[in-house]
Amino acid sequence: MSRLSKNRIFLLILITLLIFVFIVATSSRDSKLNWINNILSVPLSPIQKFFTFAGQKIDEALSFFRDIEAVKQENEELRLKVHNLEQENRELIGYREKIKELREALKLKDIFEDYEIIGANIISRDAGNWSNIFRIDVGNKDGIDVDFPVITSSKGLVGRIMITDITSSKVITIIEENSSVAGWIARTGGHVVVRGDMALKEEGLCRMDYIPVDVEVEVGDIVETSGLGGIYPKGIIIGKVVQINKTSNELDRYAIIEPAADFKRLEEVFVLKNKVNVGRSGSVEE
Amino acid sequence: MRHKVIVYTICIFFIITLQSTVLDYIRVLNVKPNLLLVFVVAVAFLQGNVEGAVVGFFAGLSQDIVSGKLIGFYALLGLYLGLAVGSVNKRLYRDNLLIIVFFTFVSTILYEAVVYFLNSFNSIINGQGYFLYAVRGVILPEAVYNSVISVFIFIIVRKFSIKFEKLDKASRKY
Repeated sequence: MSRLSKNRIFLLILITLLIFVFIVATSSRDSKLNWINNILSVPLSPIQKFFTFAGQKIDEALSFFRDIEAVKQENEELRLKVHNLEQENRELIGYREKIKELREALKLKDIFEDYEIIGANIISRDAGNWSNIFRIDVGNKDGIDVDFPVITSSKGLVGRIMITDITSSKVITIIEENSSVAGWIARTGGHVVVRGDMALKEEGLCRMDYIPVDVEVEVGDIVETSGLGGIYPKGIIIGKVVQINKTSNELDRYAIIEPAADFKRLEEVFVLKNKVNVGRSGSVEE
Repeated sequence: MRHKVIVYTICIFFIITLQSTVLDYIRVLNVKPNLLLVFVVAVAFLQGNVEGAVVGFFAGLSQDIVSGKLIGFYALLGLYLGLAVGSVNKRLYRDNLLIIVFFTFVSTILYEAVVYFLNSFNSIINGQGYFLYAVRGVILPEAVYNSVISVFIFIIVRKFSIKFEKLDKASRKY
């Protein structure tokens, strides 16, 4: 009996070590073992697609009958109004900013010309409560590769491709812990880092760190990607500042950002595929 | 044996599909239940540690593939969860629903705490871990949610368990 349990413990340790080896082997981005994903994800993705679609439809149908509908509409209108006013406000800030914005817009156009925009539906969301990884219905066969930027229809940054299978790929969002994006404050100009944060993640927010001392930040400022870091092209809107936390030390201040993408209500996204240099490798993240 | 493999495969396949799609629409307090965890606890509770470990491993692996960052992370955790629950159950009366509710509650808290520690290792070292927040915001609500759902899953798994026993007896006659 004791021999049996000894054998069992030995077996357990062996299995544990094997899984560890496996985790390490699959953790690299170009791992040869990534085909394992296909075993489950290829048959599962059409089923998940169906369930998500059904869920969306049911959700839509239910929300149609709810009283909230009217409130929602009003909210939408108000939001549009706020948005318009903000735009007006931004236009009135000054000539210099205007030129800057126009310049940015021009560059933005240039940037998106370099990319092929591929539309995708979200087919499944995270199975747990900790992270915000979701799966979209384009994969290797559509030419999607790791680290391609993912945006919303209104050019708001969502995240990047984490891993691809034949028919689907996993997207890791910018509000995820440990993810960081090089940002640029559009109004005053200053390089910042936008990071995911455990406590803010649940509300769909993220934080902005390393704000230069000489750069002025206000609530409502738009933060864009700066193009540094190599994954995201310059000029994608990350979000806007909703709160600035000042500590006693000026260097320590940070701001809370509301991303342009609403991660809870996201249904379809767009993947940017670089036309020019596709086989890029060794890009820096984090 | 063959029946078990088929039934467990279908169950895991079905649960992971639900877990990653429609369950998102029934979030309460921004938290959804972890059906896979409840399923693994129920199986381990009724069928012992070996089956618990095997089912836990495959349930975890499916979660890794669908939405994990690393392949093997949840698989390893699931294996130990099944093993642990299956090993404790020997001294308990198995037909009591209260025990399974309690068990699910405790194992959810332990399991999710481990997941949190392993996941946010980086931020904890940097002094930015929000353990209390994690407990209040995710772990406790999920534990309550899981405990409620465990009643239904337990009843289903117990039905399977009784069927398996009958099939076992029938095959032993020959």
